Amino acid sequence: MSEPQGFLALVLHTHLPFVRHPEHADFLEERWLFEAITETYLPLVERFERLANDGVPFRITMSFTPTLLAMLADPVLQARYIRHLDKLIELSAKEIDRTRWLPPFHRLALFYHHRFTAARQRYVDTYRQDLIRPFRQLAERGCLEPIASCATHGFLPLMDVVPSAARAQIRIGVEAFEHAFGRRPIGFWLPECGYHPGHDRYLKEMGVRYFLTDAHGVLFGSPRPKYGVYAPAICPSGVAAFGRDLESSKSVWSAEEGYPGDSEYREFYRDIGFDLEYDYVRPYLNGDGTRLNTGIKYYRITGKTNDKQPYDPDRALEKASEHAGNFMFNRQRQIEFLRAAMNRAPIIISPYDSELFGHWWFEGPEWLELLIRKVHFDQQQFSLITPSEYFQRYPTNQVLEPSMSSWGNGGYNDVWLNGANDWIYRHLHHMAEQMTQAAKAHAQPDPLTRRALNQMGRELCLAQSSDWAFILKTQTHTGYAYRRLHDHMARFTRLDDSLRQRRIDEGWLSELESKDNLFPFLDYRVYAEGS
Amino acid sequence: MSSWSAASPGPGDQAWNESQFSIPAGYGEDRIVLLVKDPWWLYAYWEVQPSTERAARGQLLPQDIPGLQSVLRIYDVTGIDFPAQPAHRSFDIGLSGLATNWYIQTNAPGREFIVELGLLTAGGRFLLLVRSNRVMAPWFGPSDIIDENWLTTDEDYWKLFGPAAGIGVGSSPSAWAKLAPQHLFSPGWSSGSLWAPNRPAAIKGFWCRVNTDLIIHGATEPRSTVVVQGQSVAVRKDGSFSLRLALPEGTQAVTIDVTSPDGRSSRTVTPVITLAWTGALSPDGAKPNPQRSDMPRPQDLTPGSLP
Repeated sequence: MSEPQGFLALVLHTHLPFVRHPEHADFLEERWLFEAITETYLPLVERFERLANDGVPFRITMSFTPTLLAMLADPVLQARYIRHLDKLIELSAKEIDRTRWLPPFHRLALFYHHRFTAARQRYVDTYRQDLIRPFRQLAERGCLEPIASCATHGFLPLMDVVPSAARAQIRIGVEAFEHAFGRRPIGFWLPECGYHPGHDRYLKEMGVRYFLTDAHGVLFGSPRPKYGVYAPAICPSGVAAFGRDLESSKSVWSAEEGYPGDSEYREFYRDIGFDLEYDYVRPYLNGDGTRLNTGIKYYRITGKTNDKQPYDPDRALEKASEHAGNFMFNRQRQIEFLRAAMNRAPIIISPYDSELFGHWWFEGPEWLELLIRKVHFDQQQFSLITPSEYFQRYPTNQVLEPSMSSWGNGGYNDVWLNGANDWIYRHLHHMAEQMTQAAKAHAQPDPLTRRALNQMGRELCLAQSSDWAFILKTQTHTGYAYRRLHDHMARFTRLDDSLRQRRIDEGWLSELESKDNLFPFLDYRVYAEGS
Repeated sequence: MSSWSAASPGPGDQAWNESQFSIPAGYGEDRIVLLVKDPWWLYAYWEVQPSTERAARGQLLPQDIPGLQSVLRIYDVTGIDFPAQPAHRSFDIGLSGLATNWYIQTNAPGREFIVELGLLTAGGRFLLLVRSNRVMAPWFGPSDIIDENWLTTDEDYWKLFGPAAGIGVGSSPSAWAKLAPQHLFSPGWSSGSLWAPNRPAAIKGFWCRVNTDLIIHGATEPRSTVVVQGQSVAVRKDGSFSLRLALPEGTQAVTIDVTSPDGRSSRTVTPVITLAWTGALSPDGAKPNPQRSDMPRPQDLTPGSLP
């Protein structure tokens, strides 16, 4: 096989905020995790394993946030996921009966019932409720390059005023990665691709070799990048930045021009949780009985109409295949062009949210598998690669300082800093400073004080999740986001007060430790180190 | 909506109730913090204690009081050790007494800024209350600095810029200025929206949907078997059974066979149900989905023939 003319790096960012409420029997937002497992994580693992078993060589890069890793490993959520799945299996069985006289729907009811049953079997019997393991095994087989991310998806550009907090997000993130994957991360996903010049130093301290930015992070870097985003930029610290290619991103991300909007694909917004008679679906809704998405959806996008047509999985699969071919063809043309312009093999970085595949774009996992197969079997012009493999081939790269940037709307900090959420920074910065002071003030704490300090670190991290600011802006679930900010601030403040008064309520602390139980390894001294 | 309607159980300490914690308005400090929003805008939040403001006012002469105003003074301190060296330029924003934060338009990508909050007299005297941290607004556009080891011409740069920015090949500086904001920064779905989706705007105009489900229910001796149209139905411990079926337009003969536990007795009943629709749900006269004429009739379906 001839030397490829260029490379494609598919990067999937896998993240959910930490949502775990053992104090409630049933909690709406915990469904984010359950839906993601059924619709995204299990389908992706299944397809990657199938590709590996079929001997299709492929390389894919996936970031996993520590909050998601903590939830995937949590026995309470694991048990609740199985309970959730059992309800879905029950509902889909009822649907098989109910749709008996409506063949297109009957077929879909059988389709869902089979899917949920198979998901349960894989989750319980094959993976024994541990979904991190199959990803780790794919990494060991050399197909998957897992990369780390910040502790709780803190948006670093707005944390720069308290450097110890930004640094701790990175250090705790790396540590969580090591616990899950048993190795140091080579790469790092900056939450929301939020880059602030200088933060690459913290990555360097942890031995990270590269991170991802949005296109303009590199394009607007200084000095001017000779190869645009098609080669890594080496930051002054020596860590590499890989810039996103927007041409390939757009074909998947764009709501209008992108593949996921095709009329043959499954319609996200028509769900039996909303469509069917209330009393019938009531047992499958949450405690408060508000209608919600069950995951059973019978219609295809059809067009800009309310008169949706029944979904046909076979036609959707054909379309996914067509779109995979189109994506590959466009990359071939792009690489041909870039290769001529650069006189070196370009790397195209295509990052996406993992949850786009399967959850939003139902056929996304099929598309991905078909794309990987086509790239291997149908052409020789380019091959898949991970960023770290690229600089094994091209160790010499241009040094430049990337520009502050994010992949949020507007390209900078607007999404996380606007009239709907700007009030949070006053508190987050204050807490981060209090944390740093407390960490420095307690060099040799007794065991109980140490526990309180570690828990303060957890509460601070949880409050810093970029998700809350984002949700406040989008105006959906705002009550929940506000409540989370409030509660972590309350817990943090009381812990801080307890330390000052030298009076720690151990019973209450234990309760917090079992509620916000992520990062058992967290050592508060991470806030006392460095500047 | 969140399901967080019920209050969480209180913490162990009865005297402390988490839900009663109120997020403070301030922390009793004198402080101003400056953040970057984007290349053209900054954001500042601040807090000044009344005692600090009183102390500053104490320096004033009686004639300074009329027209006294709180202002934000924005300094361009690019490459300067401020305040030891003077700023390149500065401008003021007059504040109302109640403001505790402000969005500041600087329109100066690539410049560094420090902000001071102070009192400005009509005579132009500025009394400093608090000074901010330093920030640098990101440069917007290609850098003018070229590394001689990585020489690139304008032409070559734009060649690679077009596809990277998703605006196609052959772009030019004049084209990107218009296209970049539109293409570079509109990913369509932003990360996070996956879990907090906004339902799309409803199609305009009045609409309605009507569907019909049929419920067949009955009871027999416990452990009997019930078969409806060739498919068995679960019989509950008390002998009752029920089956819900989406009912399409037309006539269905529903054969129900009930057999006793010992298999010796059986009954067969066949309710015949006819559903007919008049009227239309949408302006073009289309019938609701399950009754669409392009769909197979119930009799086309052979049980068990489906995947």
